[in-house]
Amino acid sequence: MSKEKSRNALVRRLLRRNISAGQLIGFALANLVGLTIVLVAMQFYRDVTTAWEGSDSFISRDYMIISRHVTGLGNLTGDNPMAFTPEAVAEIERQPWAERVGSFTAAEFNVYASLEMGNSNIGTALFLESIPSSFFDELPARWSYTPGRSEPVPIILSRDYLTLYNFGFAASRGLPQISEQMIGKVPLRLSLSGNGHQQYVEARVVGFSSRLNTIAVPEEFMTWANDRFAEPGRDNYPSRLIIELSKPGDPAATDFMKAHGYDIAGDRMDNSRAAFFLGLVTSVVIVVGAVISLLAFFILLLSIYLLLQKNRRKIHELMQLGYRPGEIAVHYNMLVAAVNLAVLVVASAVTAVGASMWKEPLDSIGVNGAPLWPTVAVGVAIIALITVGSIVAINRRVKSVFRI
Amino acid sequence: MIQTITLEQTLPAVFAGSEGEPPVSRSQVWLRDVIFSRPDYYMIEAESGTGKSSLCAYIYGSRVDYSGRILFDGIDTRTLDINRWSALRREALAYLPQEMMLFPELTVMENIAIKNRLTDCKSTAEIEQMLARLEIDDKRNTPAGRLSVGQQQRVAIIRSLCQPFDFLLVDEPVSHLDARNNAAVAALIDAEASARGAAVIATSVGNKISLPNLNILML
Repeated sequence: MSKEKSRNALVRRLLRRNISAGQLIGFALANLVGLTIVLVAMQFYRDVTTAWEGSDSFISRDYMIISRHVTGLGNLTGDNPMAFTPEAVAEIERQPWAERVGSFTAAEFNVYASLEMGNSNIGTALFLESIPSSFFDELPARWSYTPGRSEPVPIILSRDYLTLYNFGFAASRGLPQISEQMIGKVPLRLSLSGNGHQQYVEARVVGFSSRLNTIAVPEEFMTWANDRFAEPGRDNYPSRLIIELSKPGDPAATDFMKAHGYDIAGDRMDNSRAAFFLGLVTSVVIVVGAVISLLAFFILLLSIYLLLQKNRRKIHELMQLGYRPGEIAVHYNMLVAAVNLAVLVVASAVTAVGASMWKEPLDSIGVNGAPLWPTVAVGVAIIALITVGSIVAINRRVKSVFRI
Repeated sequence: MIQTITLEQTLPAVFAGSEGEPPVSRSQVWLRDVIFSRPDYYMIEAESGTGKSSLCAYIYGSRVDYSGRILFDGIDTRTLDINRWSALRREALAYLPQEMMLFPELTVMENIAIKNRLTDCKSTAEIEQMLARLEIDDKRNTPAGRLSVGQQQRVAIIRSLCQPFDFLLVDEPVSHLDARNNAAVAALIDAEASARGAAVIATSVGNKISLPNLNILML
C-alpha cells in the first residue's frame, strides 16, 4: 500500500465515523424513485410518439385540413355553400393558432383516369386537387409540371384509397392486391375535358400520404389545366383549406372549427390531439419525477451538512495538521458520487426493463419504439448535475471549517 | 521558508477599548512591534486570560480576530489563502496546540501517521525512537483517547515534529509533565529545532519548558 493510499485510508476511517446509513439510503431511494419516474416517462413518451413521427414525410402533423360540414344536398342554385369565402379564410388567418392558411384548388373540369392491367383496362372518373407546394415538408421526387412537356403528371394519393382498394375492392373481387411500390410503376392515362377541349396526359403516382385525404397534383398543373378546361366565370372559392398550426393539436383550433361548423379531415387530427395530451401527461409526470429528484437532492445536501457538522472538529483539526480542504472533501465527494452512480445504474436498468415490457404490445400495433440511449443520457446529465451541485456544496462547507 | 515572524501592533479584538489597562498596557507583545527570527528560542510568559492561545492561533492562521498585522518575512498573513496556509503547515510552521487535537479513536501510531504521511518526514524507526525517548513506546497501539493527558501531550509533541519547519509553536507543551519528562521533551525539541536551524516560540502560564537561551517576553 502506498503512503498516499494508507494516509487516505486513515483519513477516510476518521471521517466516515458519523455517516448515517439510514440517511444515505433515504436519499438513494428518494433519488432513485425520482430519477426512475423521469426516465421511464421520457422513454415511454419517446417510444409511443414514434407512431406519429415519420409516418408521413410529405405533410407533417402541424397541419390541419378543414372543409365545411355537409348538411344536406347542398344549394344547387346559388352560391356554393361548401366553399370558403375570402372573409372566412381571412377570419381563420387572424386566429393566433393559425401560422399559415392555404387553399385546396379543385379541378373544375372532367378527369377520367385509366390504366391497363394485363388485358383488362380499368378506368374511373376522378377528382384532382392541389395545395401550395410550400405546405409540403418535403417535396416528393419529380413534383413539378411544365405544360407542353411530355413528362407524366405526378400524383400523391391518399393512403386510405389504396387501403380501400386492397382490402375492400380487390379482396372481394379476387383482384390482385397492389403495393405502394407497384402502383408507382403503373402508367396512368388521364383524359382531361371541359370548356370544349379534350386532352390526354400521362400521369404517375409518386407517393402516398396518410394526412392528405385527396388526390393531389402540382399547383402548376392545376393552374394550367383549370385555365384551359374550366368553364369561364365560375368562382374559385376553395372548398378545403390547409392550415399550419403554431402548436400541433392545439385545442383552441379544434374548438374554433367546431363552433364554425368546419370539419377536420381524417382522424389524423385525433393522433395529434392524442399526442398533445400524451405530451401534457408526460410533462406532468416528468415534473413530478423532477420534483422528487430535487427533494432527494436536498435530502442529500442536508445529510451531508449534518455529517460535516458532526465531523466539524475533525475536519478543522485535519486542516490544522496541513490537510488541504480538497484532500478532505474528496472522501465525501467520492461517497456522493458512488451513491449517485448506483442510483443512475439502477434507474437506467429499471427504464430498460420497463421499455422491454411495453415493447411487445407496442410492436403488435406497429410502433417500433425509440432508442434507449438518449433517455439514459438525460439520466446521466441529471445525476451529473446533482453530483456537481453536491461537490460544490461539500467543498464550500469544508472550506468554511478552516477557521472556527 | 520563513525567516522572521513580525507582530505589528497586534491586539486581540476582545481587548479593543482596554488598550490603556492591564494586561495590554504592560504587555511586551500586544500593541508592540515584535520580531521573532530563526534560529532563536522564545518564551511567551502569560497569566491565564491574557490571550496566549489566541496569539498562537493568530500566528498559525486559524483565527483572524485581531487588529494590527502579523507578517511572515514582510508578507501580511491575512493575504494568504487556504491552500497557502496548508502548504505552510506542512513545510514551515509546526504547531502543538494546547488542546493537543489528537483523534481519540486513532492509536498513537495512527495519530502520528496521519501527519507524517502528509509530510513524509520521518521513518517509522525515527518515530519509534522518539516514542522511546519520551517513554511512551509501549503505548504505540493504544487509542489516544485512553492515554493520560501527560501521555497525550508527549504524543502531540512527537506529531508536531513530524514535518519540516522553520518555526515551532508550542502552546504550553509541558503543562502536564513532570521535571524529568519536561527535560526529555525540551531535549527532543532542541535537537529537532537546531538540526533545522528553526526558531521555537513556546508559551507558559507556569510550568516552563526548559529550553536553553530563552528570550522571555511577558504577554
